[in-house]
Amino acid sequence: MIRFVLWRTGAAAVLLVVLSALVFVLQQISPGDPARAYVGGNASPAAVAAAHHRLGLDRPWPQRYVRYLWHALHGDLGISLRTHRPVTTDLGQFLPATAELVLFSFVLALLLALLFALSGALRWPGTGLYRGVLLLAGTAPAFLLGLGGIVLFYGHLHWLPEAGRGVDTSSPTGFVLLDSLLHGDTGAFTDGLRHLLLPGLALAVAPAISIGRILRAGLERTFGADYVRTARSKGIREVQVLWRHVVRNSLDATLSMAGLQLGFMFAGVVIVENVFTWPGIGYYLAQSIPQSDFPAIAGVTLLLGGVYIVVNAVVDVLQAVADPRLTV
Amino acid sequence: MSAHDLPTPGTARAPGPEPGAASRSGSATAPAAGTAGPVASVRGLSVSLQRQGVRSPVLRGVDLDIAPGEIVGLVGESGSGKSVLAMTMLGLLPRSARPVITGSVHAAGTDMLHGTPAQLRAVRRSRLGVIFQDPMTSLNPTMRIGRQITEVTGDSGEAVTLLGAVRVPEPARRMRAFPHELSGGLRQRVMAAIALTGRPRLIVADEPTTALDVTVQAQLLALLADLRREFGCSVLFITHDLAVAAQITDRIAVLYQGRVAEIGPSAQLLHHPTHPYTAGLLGSRLSLSTPRTGALPTLPADGVPVAERLRGCAYHTRCPLVLDRCASQQPPATPVEGTGVLRACWRDSTAVRDIHRAVVPAEGLAAHAGPLGAVHPSPGGSGKPAADLAVEVRALGCRFHSRSGFEPRHTVDALQGVDLDVRAGEALSIVGESGSGKSTLLRVIAGLTRPTAGTVVLRGTAQMVFQDAGSSLTPWLTVGALLRERLRAAKVPPAEAARRTEEVLAAMGLPASVLKVRPGELSGGQRQRVALARAVVVPPTVLLCDEPTSALDASLAASVLNLIREMRRELAMTVVFVTHDLAVARLMGDRIAVMAQGRLVEQGDAHDIVTAPADPRTRALLDAVPRIDVPAARPATGPADRPEAAR
Amino acid sequence: MSGTTRTTGMTGAAGAVDTAGAPLSAVPRRRFALPVGERLRPAGRNVSRVLVALLVLTTLVALLAPVLAPDNPIQPVGDLNLPPLSAHHLLGTDNLGRDLLSRTLIGLRASWFSALAVVAVGLLAGGLLGVVAGAFGGWVDALLMRFTDLFLALPGALVAIAVNAALGPGLLHTLIGVSVVWWPYYARIIRAEVRGLASRPHVEAARLAGAGRLRLIGRHILPGVVPTALVTASLDIGNVVVLLAGLSFLGLGQSAPAPELGADVQNSLYLLLGQWWIPIIPALTVMLLSLIANLGGDALRNLLEGDR
Repeated sequence: MIRFVLWRTGAAAVLLVVLSALVFVLQQISPGDPARAYVGGNASPAAVAAAHHRLGLDRPWPQRYVRYLWHALHGDLGISLRTHRPVTTDLGQFLPATAELVLFSFVLALLLALLFALSGALRWPGTGLYRGVLLLAGTAPAFLLGLGGIVLFYGHLHWLPEAGRGVDTSSPTGFVLLDSLLHGDTGAFTDGLRHLLLPGLALAVAPAISIGRILRAGLERTFGADYVRTARSKGIREVQVLWRHVVRNSLDATLSMAGLQLGFMFAGVVIVENVFTWPGIGYYLAQSIPQSDFPAIAGVTLLLGGVYIVVNAVVDVLQAVADPRLTV
Repeated sequence: MSAHDLPTPGTARAPGPEPGAASRSGSATAPAAGTAGPVASVRGLSVSLQRQGVRSPVLRGVDLDIAPGEIVGLVGESGSGKSVLAMTMLGLLPRSARPVITGSVHAAGTDMLHGTPAQLRAVRRSRLGVIFQDPMTSLNPTMRIGRQITEVTGDSGEAVTLLGAVRVPEPARRMRAFPHELSGGLRQRVMAAIALTGRPRLIVADEPTTALDVTVQAQLLALLADLRREFGCSVLFITHDLAVAAQITDRIAVLYQGRVAEIGPSAQLLHHPTHPYTAGLLGSRLSLSTPRTGALPTLPADGVPVAERLRGCAYHTRCPLVLDRCASQQPPATPVEGTGVLRACWRDSTAVRDIHRAVVPAEGLAAHAGPLGAVHPSPGGSGKPAADLAVEVRALGCRFHSRSGFEPRHTVDALQGVDLDVRAGEALSIVGESGSGKSTLLRVIAGLTRPTAGTVVLRGTAQMVFQDAGSSLTPWLTVGALLRERLRAAKVPPAEAARRTEEVLAAMGLPASVLKVRPGELSGGQRQRVALARAVVVPPTVLLCDEPTSALDASLAASVLNLIREMRRELAMTVVFVTHDLAVARLMGDRIAVMAQGRLVEQGDAHDIVTAPADPRTRALLDAVPRIDVPAARPATGPADRPEAAR
Repeated sequence: MSGTTRTTGMTGAAGAVDTAGAPLSAVPRRRFALPVGERLRPAGRNVSRVLVALLVLTTLVALLAPVLAPDNPIQPVGDLNLPPLSAHHLLGTDNLGRDLLSRTLIGLRASWFSALAVVAVGLLAGGLLGVVAGAFGGWVDALLMRFTDLFLALPGALVAIAVNAALGPGLLHTLIGVSVVWWPYYARIIRAEVRGLASRPHVEAARLAGAGRLRLIGRHILPGVVPTALVTASLDIGNVVVLLAGLSFLGLGQSAPAPELGADVQNSLYLLLGQWWIPIIPALTVMLLSLIANLGGDALRNLLEGDR
């Protein structure tokens, strides 16, 4: 068990290095000059050259990579070509909004997936429509779900707000829901929730289906297992059979898929934030792309990719803990 | 199927097309079990199930009573409906099979067909226990043993007591074990402990020993007999092997195609069968006393569509005593005077007795000791020159490293210092329990597994017949393509190849039409014939057989064994035959080599090994072979005399 | 680009498995009857055939899009922002007066063929790698699979964005960016399938029967992989269509005037609350393509599994 945790941690560290190397290589081949970002667009060639030297851009690439890695580890991801601010500062500002959206959406996805899998595997009557609608929505790109939601719930029904996070975005932790809960501010909480609902849903549908399908397949396979028959032969209640014997043994593939889907959500969030002008990292990235602001793009890739790698390592370790067969 | 034909399990549809035999009195079906009513009673039970969109009848009017403290054996080949009967009695038929049920089933005083789900749960919880076939898959892999027992008892003290009662060593410590940490035999004991929770009145054991080694099987049978004595519960013991049933049952019901062919006291039924099917089963059973010379007795295969068979007596297409009316009228169950036997056959019971005598030799070992087949090299003579050896194995070792995740590696010595000679033209049987290394040895000889020590010399070519014929044939290639590939590799010219293909199919008793067919469309027995055909279409020097019949029903197995013996005789092949069954080993080998834990513990003339084993491990194997005339684990008294048994 | 469903096709369905020992062993075994139609009723099989035909039809429409398009998709041809079902403009016109039907058709063509290209590259590159790794095993397998795992462990869509952004806009760059992260899935799936088949006794039996290594791979392993690969690939087309549309939506795709579904949505986003159909129509087209690919892939799986 400890060996596995150590190995998995080591693997995650290697992956982070690979990710940073990849981003570094991409930065080298990308157009745009980081030195120019420091000195401004109207600087003299001499000033640019000086900045070049100061940033170490005239050194051979192994040195540049070590330097890049060193700086990245100390929180220096360069200057954004677009905002002319340190990328780290930008990311720090936009991260909470994205984290809130992704977490909310992930929980939503898990709920939808659980409902999808249980209703399908247990053949709950009348739930076919739910599964059909979810499956259909799953084939749509996230921007269509977002746009459709805006047209319907804002444009026509006026039930939900169009975009943004709400009036008060100056919450101290950056998490609107958390802050309003801490302060007992029901109004702000409801408002935050109303703003989260559409983008959260648009982001949640596709992962919900992926997770739900895997879970459903797992449930149906487990339902046919001999030990479930044994459990029934014991005469325990069907609910107990379901939770203790079926669900417990259906989760392993589902956990991996959930981890994988979280990664896809980091990419999906770029589009959804763009549609809803959600002031998060994805919106920041979407703004950076047309401007070829590669330091910003690289920073976002590093941050979200790093989170993804760590999350998947944690999922793997959790899975090993959960399965006694792997920990003898 | 229309929607109204789809009940949930446990509900019955009364108006069925099958009238079933009229209810017989309890005294006729449940003899001599005291005055108490039966623990379980099945009346006119018919069940049809739907599979892959096709509905077919599985049980067709079954009557069965189980008296308190009685062990009833339910014997039948695969497809006879024995497991479905057990599941119906427990109310556990899978809903996905859309069962349609008529008749009545009562177990421990509960109507198992019309009871509410809560009633069925309650009776399963406290009055009924089950032991399933495969102890590897029947326990929840992620739940500790203790929890799986206390889930029912709610009391860990009780659970420890029960584990002790089923002879699990160190029960208190085992409570925290996960199933994968226990051996197969121990797991099956845990299953028995779960079955015992709530002091059941009836335990249904569905082929509980099929997945176990013979020595473990003997222990489990003894345990079941003990439990019956200690706990006073009845047991419905399901098996495909009459000899296993003979070990512990008081009565035996023989099931054929969803009907009871014959039911009666075990001794009576085993020694004086009154139904041709029972006689055929007994006759085709391979035992330590089956004659080694001549063809092995077989039951004729049934090539007739099921629907046609079910009009009359289902057995009429295979029956040697068939009458005209057998094909059109179903024989009712009628008692045989003075024996307690009920039989469903139009023929007189004496006629059956005659064919039984004709087929079955007197029980008793060593009645026929001769060597088998026509090619029998002069036995003995260890000083033979090496040129005479087809296979020469020297100091063979094979070590496997199993890595489970990131834990330290386990090393398993599948083979250790094995020395073995197989003379040209000889038939050698290798016997051992699972994990003894017998299959590994065969694979090393075939060149499929690389040894880690020692040498193997193979003089000539080798072909192999695998245990599971279905998976040894490439699913998307036709039988013709598979045979052609072998001929092509041996550079047989096309005209010659066509002739040989034709010949080999004829020899295997397969129609030429199978050439255009893919393996998935064949039955299990046909697939094994195709596998054998491929092996011998270009005759190899050595034919290696890895338990080729262990997945087949007894009657099919005998015919495949006959084919292997015939092919050996005609093609003068050397045969190395791996099996876990000493009776089969004796029939297939001039010599027998016994393996245990990767070592060769004894080898010698087949007759000598089974009559005078020298090694204790051989003796243990031999003692564990279930025999019809030796009721090893059967208590001297009849059904339990103490229903209120102590712990 | 949103969370993507990746289905592994018919894992584990390799070949006809002997059904003895199934819980309901009482049902008589098939003899010489062909197993056609076992999984699906005839009607179901016909529906499946129609759905698979839809895949082909979509490809045909994409192929003939320049012929089918009534107008030049780049030039303004009528009034601005005409609603659908207008005279001469079935789907209306966009904010620059270009015919929406023509733009949609040409955009569909780009989307569909781009997706096919990515899937084909993934299938070929990943498939080759998977077959080599699976068939040879040992250190070859270990090396190739560690390499594959490295790619799989990175967030694919995000890396695709980064690669694409680094290379700059352009359809070719987009395809490179997506292909770079897409092949590992195929390598994994096909390698697993090859390993599974290679360890089955029928391969050992064929080896003993005298089949050489190439013949073993070509005749006893690969035919078992093809259905899985085909089903996986066809189900995957939809995922790639959606991913590519997402990248195009973010401005990573063909440059401006060329019609592209994702970019067209982005460019007309400001019309959402007025002429909502202008951004919605190309978005719906993306969904339609993804739906066709998913249904077609599922149907293909049903047909192929029924044939086994």
